[in-house]
Amino acid sequence: MRLDIQNVSKRYNYKKYGLKEYSLSIEKGILGLLGPNGAGKSTLLKMIATISKPSEGIILLNKNNVIKDPNYMRKQLGYLPQDFGVYPNLNAYEFLSYMAALKGIGGNQLNQKINFLLEGLNLIEVAKKPIGNYSGGMKQRIGIAQALLNNPKIVLFDEPTVGLDPEERVRFRNLISELANDCIVILSSHIVSDIDTIADEVAIMKEGRLLSQGTQKTIVDTVKGKVFETIIAKEDIHNFANNHIVLNTIRKKDKITVRHISETGYGQHTPCTATLEDAYLYTTKK
Amino acid sequence: MKNFITIITSDYLQRTRSYAFLITLCISLVIAYTFIPSPDANYSTIRIGDYLGFYNSSWIGYVSALMTSIFLSLIGFYLVNGSIKNDIDSKIGQIIATTKISNFAYLFSKTISNFLVLITIAFVVFIMSILLFFLYNDGFSFEILQFITPYSIIVISSLFFISVLAVLFEVFLGQKSILQNILFFFLFGALAVYQPTNDENFYFDVFGTKIVTHKMEKTVKKITGKEEKSGLTIGFVLGNISNTKHFTFNGINFPPQFIVSRISWIAISLLLLGVASLFFHRFKIKERFQVRKHKKITLKTSTANNIDISTLPKTSLSFKILPLIKTEFLLLIRHGHKWLWILNIGGMIALCFTPISIAHQMVLPILWFLQVSRWSSLVTKERIYNTHFFTFSSYQPLQRLLLSQIISGILLAILLAIPLLFRYILQFDFVPAISIIFGGVFIVSFAVLTGMLTKGKKLFEILFFLITYANLNTIPLVDYFGGLHDQYSYLMGILVIVTLLLTMSYIVRNLELKKM
Repeated sequence: MRLDIQNVSKRYNYKKYGLKEYSLSIEKGILGLLGPNGAGKSTLLKMIATISKPSEGIILLNKNNVIKDPNYMRKQLGYLPQDFGVYPNLNAYEFLSYMAALKGIGGNQLNQKINFLLEGLNLIEVAKKPIGNYSGGMKQRIGIAQALLNNPKIVLFDEPTVGLDPEERVRFRNLISELANDCIVILSSHIVSDIDTIADEVAIMKEGRLLSQGTQKTIVDTVKGKVFETIIAKEDIHNFANNHIVLNTIRKKDKITVRHISETGYGQHTPCTATLEDAYLYTTKK
Repeated sequence: MKNFITIITSDYLQRTRSYAFLITLCISLVIAYTFIPSPDANYSTIRIGDYLGFYNSSWIGYVSALMTSIFLSLIGFYLVNGSIKNDIDSKIGQIIATTKISNFAYLFSKTISNFLVLITIAFVVFIMSILLFFLYNDGFSFEILQFITPYSIIVISSLFFISVLAVLFEVFLGQKSILQNILFFFLFGALAVYQPTNDENFYFDVFGTKIVTHKMEKTVKKITGKEEKSGLTIGFVLGNISNTKHFTFNGINFPPQFIVSRISWIAISLLLLGVASLFFHRFKIKERFQVRKHKKITLKTSTANNIDISTLPKTSLSFKILPLIKTEFLLLIRHGHKWLWILNIGGMIALCFTPISIAHQMVLPILWFLQVSRWSSLVTKERIYNTHFFTFSSYQPLQRLLLSQIISGILLAILLAIPLLFRYILQFDFVPAISIIFGGVFIVSFAVLTGMLTKGKKLFEILFFLITYANLNTIPLVDYFGGLHDQYSYLMGILVIVTLLLTMSYIVRNLELKKM
């Protein structure tokens, strides 16, 4: 299983791009897409999911051009969009059966599979109630269930942890790790903690461009030895922020502890261990 | 005041800056063009027996104002209805509820915005009527006042009343959009058939048209010298142009009391709005409408378990469309309130026992019109419920999903018409039975195409309403279900139109999928 994205652009008008000359390749494992809002993460996922077509470039799944043959992708795709809806008048069984039919899957074991997923996602006791009455987290779990219906070989999760409580987020991350044993998982988020514990590779995006891609270690190494904490007076913060890349600030009475990136440090500084979040903020802010 | 104007302006711009509004304007232009038939046209809009007015400024100005008052009131309700619902759906309502704006000011801003939308369309029709005067110029002089007067006195207060009515329906009937549509249908019918018996009663005519038609009738009666019924017809009546005679209509000097009555209608509308503001939910929708019916579901344990992916049962590929048809049909049936099915069953019983011609010409179109909200959401629900990410990334969305949606829509039409179909089949009368099936296919295809073109429900709902209204007035031009025709040639005509609609739907959806 191999996904190749080659020089893909999505142009909305003659000068506005949602994504520009984007290329990456991924084999089995988890790719975490990190980027601020408007970075083009959802645009990229929609194009891989064949909902949207690139203006330029090609997307290959196992050397098959999925722009020309979207059904090749659709047959093995599990996709959880960022902002999806449900039909409120259907119950969970009916909705998942409908999703299965849309994906072109059936067979004797379909009902068993739906039951299994509903049980696993702890929705079995409300499975016969209309989805319109579900809470946000329960709807999100229905979304996860539909993404897993067709034994997908490529799974796309766009901001999947929205609406999930902290315990559910942990379980969801475990689920993704398990999925990645035999499929490609692409997970987009602007929350670094959703990605840093599970992603094999990380791609950082901004304004439709790929800024950097690699293993977490290679990305973190770009800021290794450059992250410091300095305590400064409150009134100096604006001046400080103008001259340094500030990662984080913590207020303490009339002082502020500033976590920042610098080649040499500043004043009385304390060197810190670099994290993926530092590297992400550094890459997107510089 | 400045904030108030800003709210109205934003609301107006939001509603008019849409593809659907552009289409509505274009359709209004086409309809406006038909308000004044060309001199050689084989239909009439306003006619008094054998008499038509000469195409002078008065006739064109008044006829077009009358038609605008009636037809724009009719479709205008459906066009502007839903402005509060939009604020609920977009969650803007919750923000508005936390601002200083009073209930009355909010409802008034919605009314004004409704009114501006309708007035924009009326203005387009007004310009078209002037253009038509010059196009059909018969040597009469152009008198601008003969256009401005009827529009100002008749049309403005009619449209204001409709703008308020749309808001009132939303306030009192909340989320029950189907009930709103049906009630308006009957209310409009009742208002339209109101016949004043003396001059004072013209003041009770909300659309303000009766005083003008009365003057036209009086003028014709003077010419003919007959005192019996003049044979006034309003609407699109085909084929009554033989023996047409002409008379001169010079407009009307509106009595001051009538002008006061028109202003009074605006005042009454505002009063009703004031009463409605006392009952306005101010976006506490759950408290007001839902809690008693739908309690949010809670789970004993709220979090998900661990799923062992490796133990998931294996499924196989299956490209059958039957499961899709089943769910699409289920979605259609469950759409709207359950009580609507009581009306449907009542309609189906009426199809069994009313005289067969009435069942076909009256009961069936009403019964089908009751499904307007279902059919209008057939291909638009993906966008309404935000499920298009799933449906458009499904396997063969064009060949499987679209087909299943069309089939399920047709199945609903046939299901409702079954009693009538059986009656015809038992009489070995197959042409009307086939016509009904073709009618069902037509209305579903029409819903599919208009839904795809506008990406919304409104246009279909308005046009279906107009078609049904015309059906009930036995206008043969829009007889899509063979109520007035039982010839094979007519069936073939419907078949051609249906094929065209379905082909266009296929092309439009295909383009839509390609353009994504």
